[in-house]
Amino acid sequence: MTADLRRDFADRDDLSVYLREQFPGATARGEDISPIRGGRRSALTALARIDPVRYAATRNDLNGAVTRLSPYIRHGVLSLAEVRDAALARAIEPGQAYKLVQELAWRDYWRRLYAEIGAGVWRDREPLKTGKRTDRYAPDLPPEIERGETGLACMDAFARELRETGYLHNHARMWVAAWVVHWRGVRWQAGARWFLRHLLDGDPASNNLSWQWVASTFSSKPYLFNRENLARYTGNRYCRECPLRDACPFDAPYEELQARLFPGVPSPDHRPAARKDRRR
Amino acid sequence: MTIRRPIVWVHGDDLSPENAAIAANPVAPAIFVFDDRAIERYKVTLKRIAFIYECLLELPVVIRRGDPAVEVLAFAREHDADAILTTPSPAPGFRQIVRTLERNLPVDILSGMPFVPDLHYDLGRFSRYWRTAERHAMSAADE
Ligand SMILES: Cc1cc2nc3c(=O)[nH]c(=O)nc-3n(C[C@H](O)[C@H](O)[C@H](O)COP(=O)(O)OP(=O)(O)OC[C@H]3O[C@@H](n4cnc5c(N)ncnc54)[C@H](O)[C@@H]3O)c2cc1C
Repeated sequence: MTADLRRDFADRDDLSVYLREQFPGATARGEDISPIRGGRRSALTALARIDPVRYAATRNDLNGAVTRLSPYIRHGVLSLAEVRDAALARAIEPGQAYKLVQELAWRDYWRRLYAEIGAGVWRDREPLKTGKRTDRYAPDLPPEIERGETGLACMDAFARELRETGYLHNHARMWVAAWVVHWRGVRWQAGARWFLRHLLDGDPASNNLSWQWVASTFSSKPYLFNRENLARYTGNRYCRECPLRDACPFDAPYEELQARLFPGVPSPDHRPAARKDRRR
Repeated sequence: MTIRRPIVWVHGDDLSPENAAIAANPVAPAIFVFDDRAIERYKVTLKRIAFIYECLLELPVVIRRGDPAVEVLAFAREHDADAILTTPSPAPGFRQIVRTLERNLPVDILSGMPFVPDLHYDLGRFSRYWRTAERHAMSAADE
């Protein structure tokens, strides 16, 4: 039996000092404490701020009205049912909450699948649709990606945000994952492990299956984005300052990226109406 | 068998004060265990531990670290418990721990309010799941 860990702390700094002492291994890997606070009180404050209508209209935008509830939901501080009920209560008619409820449902879906396949979330659910075999992908994440030192302003900023806050917007997660797997040719598992080390909402169900969705081992085609798409949903904030703005690997029409990244694979329909720039 | 002196095992999937196991027996001693091996296996960083820790500080639990099954059973012995109450988790590690606990004491797994009822869902793709789940998901649980 071990001794009880402490429960009385003067403030957050006091807690951080104690945790650094108690968990030297975790501290060596990343000693940042997120600005996002744990606990039911913080969760309820965040829940009181959700806006289902603006959510539906702006959720793909990095500055959009996303809820940021994922760490609380991941750890059961808030249940999906109670977030859904709050969303419906805030809507004048249920349809206004549809988009948010459907996103909550993604978590329920991934969790049900996880309950069925368990450690199978670490294995390819289906063959890749990229025209490349799994063994053509690198098993490990290049260290400069993790450190955020690749020179790509967007990706480096996302890596830093992940490390410092343990949170990333859904669209940023999709871009990072697509870049790691399709541009850098790294196995999705390496990216998934990286995310799980840092994400406060890190969960093998949502995380690994989303990586597989991007990679195409759990979808009918690989997820791709381009510079125009990233610039639009980030208000061009990264591209403006990017040292690689004239050598951007994402700066091409979808057809061209498709041909470059997946040679020999027939191009899926990339008309904006059909692909909606995103997954769903 | 009637349970007279249960303890509650709180795990990382259910850090709400309204956790169904705590709610079922608010006076039972409760424990949370940081799984040192899992922290190393997944190379978890400090901010994830801190987030969980802050959640725990709002719960009536004793916080320990080590092997969860070993620690929960030790805690049960300290309190002369005749059962362990907890809440469900889809993680394979959870099932393993429950199997170990069950070799020593009865384990009661209590569920909170579900998002959608436990029907049969086709999990092949989200769209197929949603076809069945949508109607339930879109109605409030407290109606
Ligand atoms: C590569 C990748 C990895 C991801 N890893 C995780 C992870 O480890 N844990 C995790 O909870 N989510 C993960 N997601 C899903 C999604 O990105 C996050 O849930 C979401 O960005 C959290 O921010 P939010 O709370 O502001 O979300 P909102 O858009 O406000 O959504 C509300 C809630 O719905 C749920 N949700 C929304 N979208 C999804 C989704 N696509 N899949 C599952 N649940 C969703 C979350 O619980 C979220 O808190 C991942 C997505 C990708 C593309």
